[in-house]
Amino acid sequence: MKRLLLALLASLLVAAPALAKDVFHLYNWNNYIAPETIKRFEDFCKCEVVQTYYSDNEELLAKLAAGAKGYDMLVPTSNAVSTLIKGKQLKPIDKSPLPNLKNIDPRYLNTPFDPDNKYSVPYAMSTTIIGYNDVKMKELGLPTDTWAVIFEPRYLEKVKGRITVLDSADELFAAALKYLGYSANDVDEKHWKEAANVIKKSRPYWAAFNASSYIKELTVGNIWLVHGYSNDIFQANLDAQAAKRPFHILQGMPKEGAVLAVDNMVMHKDAPRPDLALKFMNFMLEGKNSAELTNLIGSGNPNTDAVKYIKPEILKNPAIFPDKAVAAKLEQLKDFTGAQRRLRNRMWTEIKAGR
Amino acid sequence: MATKRPLGLWIAAAAGYAFLYAPLAIVVVYSFNDSRLNAEWVGFTLDWYDKLFHDQDMLTAAGNSLVIALTASAVSTVLGTMAGLALYRYQTRLLQVLVLAPIAIPEILMGVSLLIFFVFLDFTLGLVSVTLAHITFCIGFVAIVVRARLAGMDESLTEAARDCGASPWEAFRYVTLPLIMPGVIAGALMAFTLSIDDFVITFFTAGAGTVTLPLQIYSMIKIAVTPEVNAVSSLLMLLTLALIIIAAKVSPTLLRSQEGSAP
Amino acid sequence: MAARTVTRVGRWLVSGPPLLYLVVFFAIPSLIMVLASFRTPGEFGGLAPLVEEGRVDLNLDSYLRFFSESVYAQIFVKSVWYALATTLLCLALAYPLAALIARSPKRYRDLLLLLVILPFWSNFLIRVYAWMIVLGPNAALAKTVNAVFTWFGHVEPVPLLFSSFAVLVCLVYVHLPFMVLPLYANLEKHDQALLDAAQDLGANAWQRFWRITFPLSLPGVYAGAALVFIPALGIFAIPDILGGPENSLIGNVIKQQFLETRDWPFGSVLSIVLTVAALLLAGLAAWVARHNLGTPSSVREARA
Repeated sequence: MKRLLLALLASLLVAAPALAKDVFHLYNWNNYIAPETIKRFEDFCKCEVVQTYYSDNEELLAKLAAGAKGYDMLVPTSNAVSTLIKGKQLKPIDKSPLPNLKNIDPRYLNTPFDPDNKYSVPYAMSTTIIGYNDVKMKELGLPTDTWAVIFEPRYLEKVKGRITVLDSADELFAAALKYLGYSANDVDEKHWKEAANVIKKSRPYWAAFNASSYIKELTVGNIWLVHGYSNDIFQANLDAQAAKRPFHILQGMPKEGAVLAVDNMVMHKDAPRPDLALKFMNFMLEGKNSAELTNLIGSGNPNTDAVKYIKPEILKNPAIFPDKAVAAKLEQLKDFTGAQRRLRNRMWTEIKAGR
Repeated sequence: MATKRPLGLWIAAAAGYAFLYAPLAIVVVYSFNDSRLNAEWVGFTLDWYDKLFHDQDMLTAAGNSLVIALTASAVSTVLGTMAGLALYRYQTRLLQVLVLAPIAIPEILMGVSLLIFFVFLDFTLGLVSVTLAHITFCIGFVAIVVRARLAGMDESLTEAARDCGASPWEAFRYVTLPLIMPGVIAGALMAFTLSIDDFVITFFTAGAGTVTLPLQIYSMIKIAVTPEVNAVSSLLMLLTLALIIIAAKVSPTLLRSQEGSAP
Repeated sequence: MAARTVTRVGRWLVSGPPLLYLVVFFAIPSLIMVLASFRTPGEFGGLAPLVEEGRVDLNLDSYLRFFSESVYAQIFVKSVWYALATTLLCLALAYPLAALIARSPKRYRDLLLLLVILPFWSNFLIRVYAWMIVLGPNAALAKTVNAVFTWFGHVEPVPLLFSSFAVLVCLVYVHLPFMVLPLYANLEKHDQALLDAAQDLGANAWQRFWRITFPLSLPGVYAGAALVFIPALGIFAIPDILGGPENSLIGNVIKQQFLETRDWPFGSVLSIVLTVAALLLAGLAAWVARHNLGTPSSVREARA
């Protein structure tokens, strides 16, 4: 027993010191970069890429707020970038080694949360929309281009117990506000109360608030309609085809508009290897590399140079590459003040408590 | 000593085992499922095991989890047994609270506070910080089980040993320890289980680049928890079982549960 | 006296190391968060600076919020019910298992015990997903249940998944080994001679169980109950994955404070209330145990 303990301690001590090699620490969403891209980058920079993952912006923010470090690059969504900038957690970007920056569509540059792109560079995008089982929706005669289908009892009756919505206060309130005709970033308490009422009225018909297993349930056919992320729904369809289901999972862009999430590459203020981070940024700004992710998961792409590498069927998809009219109705979520967050949380807790 | 085991007991226990193993059967069977989803049976394949053996990230994560769990359960069993003994013999108030509180406190709070603590000490986050965190919440489980085992135990045996000239350590090693061994083993098993499956505390105390199996798997939750995860789970179970059987063969005297006896 | 010194030294040798470890790695970090409950949330997450313009910024805002907005207390009570139900169901399921293992021949005991805990070395998420398969609307179980309900006239489909039932089943499943192991550790030392004597004196199986085995096993029962009830109070992953729209528990609310609202002080307050409540309930149970309120006088005499 004693020998076993000693052996364990020895193995821990041996494993602890890092190998003396160029290591680039990337803290990213899971499956948010193609394995081929990583390999090519490792060959290009002669370094090792170590990825750790998070599945929510808030996890990233909580960890950094508690003081974690060691990461070179993070890939937060715009509102999280805004929080990080205000919290002085990011290193400014030296743009001189980034010649490929010119590839980014100017629509996505120079945003209100990071004017002049001092800290962030757009990476990939997704929208929060409606996902549905095409066979079932046709059968039930339900519309798939409006938020009404998840908020109005006359439609909900037909899909009772077969619909899920995201377990995110921000996303669900944004959808409800859009449905009511307000902006997703509206901060009027009266409007929030209206949205909360819409949600509470629809809640009895929803199967669950779910942000994790809804894709699987959609693909299997247990759930027919979801409020979800465009990448997830794209994946669900790929899985459904691979599993030879007798239906497709399609994306429905509501005409009232939706939330757009732009994920950005940023450098942590204590990044051990900012030089590698800049190399990576420039590498990912190349059209070819950027397109690999889009082809893999169906994410939106702010890179104009990537267009020629993206699969045509993805380019034609209006939920991933919306036309001008739809794009005008998409909104990026803004961060709230502390007081607003607390109010939102109380309303959300009441909704979740069944009040 | 084998005692009477009436039929009713067998049936109830069998139901218990069935309840435990029904989902597990699905886990193992679906690791051979020829479908990316973990949802229904399509066909048989060994692809996922093949994929697993080429997946460096997953294998490293599994290895880390195993090392952390073995270390954390070993240390927390030792400390927890001591705590259980102390709780039973001396009833120290402070220890009672300190032992129960880590079990009660929500994991997120413990994770965040440990992270802040480590950062404050400028302690590098990595395998060691995770192990230290795991030991903290495992001690309580071991202590409580050992104390329950000690309840009602006759101290006269230990006193008799001391009267015959045994040192306190000898009295413990040759009298007390064998009597509480089932409790110690139960505690060690619980500690191991808790450590190998912990997500929240590990999430906050892991360093940039430290991945354990739960962290790796939870990060896949959005895209798809493919049968590769079933494969690694099944293999990890087998591996752990094998390790324990080997350990039992290597140190039989230490691990053999002595005949429990109420005096 | 030498003997007394030895005992005192012995006492510190035994309680010292775990005490030291827990003080360093638990008490001190927790104090950080207890302090945090009196602070103001940082504007961008985390905590606001402790010293603001030379003045220490401590307040009771978060505590007042908990006591004034009743929805939090309501969810808290709901969580207590779930945890209680989980504990009782675990006890019912675990007792036969532990008893069987404890009474098996020595060479099989360790193996049977390992078999109980083996499933829990697979990953938590994958086990929950397996339950989603078992409870899914197209699986055998749901179809059978719905067939029975339809036969009784209730035509609307009864969802097994995304419901309180699913949450409870999974809670029991996840906590079962933590009830089995302490029970086993205690039952293992029961002397069959007592039961044989009782049988000779005319006691039937139920009497033997209720008046001898169960009272003697109470320390194990309390230990198991503590190790199930207390963690079950704070759980959040299970409602997240397979709960319905109204199955949010206090663990979920606490998680939201840290991972959505970024209100660490309030998260601290909720956690402190949870921890204190759990410790109080455990203390109450221990008091009941100590005063042998559950032990019939005959056994107390036998023990003496």
